[in-house]
Amino acid sequence: MINDKNSQKIVDFISNWARKHSIWVLGYGTGCGAIEIPPTMTSRYDAERLGIRGAATPRQADVLLITGYLTTKTLKRVIRVYEQMQDPKYVVGFGSCTINGGMYYDSYNTINVLDKYLPVDVYINGCMPRPEAVLSGFGKLQQLIGEGKANGATKYKENLEWYRANQKKVIPNWVMPEYNW
Amino acid sequence: MQEKKIKNKIIKRVKTNFKDARDRNDFKYNRLDFSVKKEIIPSVLFYLKDEMGFIHLSHISCVDWLEEGELEVVFILWSPEEKIKVFVRTRLDRDNPVMDNLDMIWRQANTYERELREMYGIQFTGLEAPDEFILEDWQGPPPMRRDFDTEAYSNETYFHRPGREDAEDVRETITKRSGEDIPDFAKKYSR
Repeated sequence: MINDKNSQKIVDFISNWARKHSIWVLGYGTGCGAIEIPPTMTSRYDAERLGIRGAATPRQADVLLITGYLTTKTLKRVIRVYEQMQDPKYVVGFGSCTINGGMYYDSYNTINVLDKYLPVDVYINGCMPRPEAVLSGFGKLQQLIGEGKANGATKYKENLEWYRANQKKVIPNWVMPEYNW
Repeated sequence: MQEKKIKNKIIKRVKTNFKDARDRNDFKYNRLDFSVKKEIIPSVLFYLKDEMGFIHLSHISCVDWLEEGELEVVFILWSPEEKIKVFVRTRLDRDNPVMDNLDMIWRQANTYERELREMYGIQFTGLEAPDEFILEDWQGPPPMRRDFDTEAYSNETYFHRPGREDAEDVRETITKRSGEDIPDFAKKYSR
């Protein structure tokens, strides 16, 4: 019965609806952006009323929130964290640094365009984005999840070789485990 | 007045012990400054620590004198009794910067020396520490030297998103988009 097209649609609708109302975030606090997360989570803006809350480990999390610039050293850890996360998983790039390098565009040790290395579903612009912008970004993510369009993880699996080639370009000494999803 | 007396006393004692120490001491506050040769750096620092009471190593810093072809290593010491800090400078050849390891005087010097080794390429003879400090898998030249062009390195190593280079005036763009006029007081800030 599950192969029937209409019933699959109903199952997708229900699962997407459930997913979009329980976004568990792994805040990977790189750079300065992590300081905007406490006000977003605590009583003034209270993100938990929208179902957004922190997760303790990568395996429990749905969203990898990358807050700010990524050095090549941190990128290695972020890739490892992302590959440990279980489906469904989404990446939110936070701040100008993840979009085009921000004020660190000419640094010798920070990457500039995050979506060449990890599939980013939503970017939040700003340096720094205020909590309103963060909530608006999460609202956009919820909308995409509800429509079934937040498919970064599938994109990553399908184009793994392209992502790997980009990652290995900046991480010459590649000693990472290969996960078999 | 009291401070000046102490400073003069310190200068006198250092200069009698180390003949070729040059000092630059026209600072109005509690700071002294000596330049010495790199061979006598350990004895100067031992003397300042054991005899003069400069027991605290605040920092080891480095200045790149590209035009003169030299690297200048600066030791910053602090005396908790006299409330005076001393800068001890020494110059190394830029092409072959080698000096003595000093972490038997202060153990924390080990960390600073590792940083200088990685960021400026200064070799400390006898330094026992892992090769990498902060940078991981670094293959380029020492990045803090002045002849290292970080923008060129970044351009050839990382991806760049087009759109940064237009540098358009944000205020004008926004007013054009929304059809408003720029108020007079704001016009003088436009490009």
